[in-house]
Amino acid sequence: MNAPKQKQKDPYSLKSFRVLVADDYPFMADLMTSMIRELGVEHILLANSGAEAKEMVMMFNADPGSPNHIDMVITDWLMPGGDGDELIRWIRDSKKDAIKFLPVVLCSAYTSEEIVTIARDSGANEAMVKPISAKKMADRILHVINHPRPFIKTPNFFGPDRRRRLEKYKGEERRVMKPDEVKETHERL
Amino acid sequence: MSDSKNENEVEIYHRVNKLKLKAGAGLHDGDGFIDLHSIKRAQAVIDRKETLYMNEVEDVLKKLRVAWEKMQSDDEETIMHGKEELYHYANHVKDLATTYNYQLMGHFGSSLRQFSEKIDVENKMHFVIVQAHLDVMFIVYKEHIKDEGGDKAVELKSIVAAAIKKYF
Repeated sequence: MNAPKQKQKDPYSLKSFRVLVADDYPFMADLMTSMIRELGVEHILLANSGAEAKEMVMMFNADPGSPNHIDMVITDWLMPGGDGDELIRWIRDSKKDAIKFLPVVLCSAYTSEEIVTIARDSGANEAMVKPISAKKMADRILHVINHPRPFIKTPNFFGPDRRRRLEKYKGEERRVMKPDEVKETHERL
Repeated sequence: MSDSKNENEVEIYHRVNKLKLKAGAGLHDGDGFIDLHSIKRAQAVIDRKETLYMNEVEDVLKKLRVAWEKMQSDDEETIMHGKEELYHYANHVKDLATTYNYQLMGHFGSSLRQFSEKIDVENKMHFVIVQAHLDVMFIVYKEHIKDEGGDKAVELKSIVAAAIKKYF
């Protein structure tokens, strides 16, 4: 058994991160960007609708060689002109790796149980239940960095593995594919 | 991605954790953290902006009233536009109010947003419910009522509940 990894001594530096915030309400958008800036992120983009967020993602991430990729999207759920669900599905449907694998944090006022289901099924990496707070935001960003999940592609879904814990399944065997038939791809630097 | 013909095919992509590298850690390092002082400063940003709450909520309530006026127009497109705006501005009220723990305003923002999903613009009875929401929200704003538990809050909630029960 591997020894547990030691926690790091120094805090993360988020200054080179580029984060896109999508929120149609200017007051909340300003609150989010100011908060994220205080957490150390120096490059923050703001979109006031899902449609504008798509344009920005295309602008920054369509070119695979660009050094200015957006690293994370933080999106509100309810927005006119393309909501968070539509944005996330658009991201996951992209043919471009720099877009389809983009980490997305979904913010919503739904109850934590509802939003976890919504986020899981839409392909978001993390969900944050409103009202917002700095601790909640920091926790979600940290979770994306510390605990990335592999992406799963099935005929009906593409997104982060919806299982947060890998435990041995004890129920009836209903898998259509045997584990050794599942294709696994390991990205290399 | 492969173009396999197997319609049940499952693929798993293990990605390099580039965010961890970008944050200054090594791929095999343990969990990192965000500086606690940064988190406190970020929370202070939220807290400081509470002074803007009254002006901001007044602004959104005015927008709600404009949306409501559009819903009373004779033009179908204007009505539908007003309905959509009502939904989103009610959501803004809820977001703003709950951020600063203005529970009663948050309650009515949430209630109006939920109701606006069900509004039948042909049914004038539904309009009474919208009007009831707007009336109590302006009272909550003018009387600066924060909590849900006081006598006035209970009375206002009962007004809206009665309107919903009678007209929906």
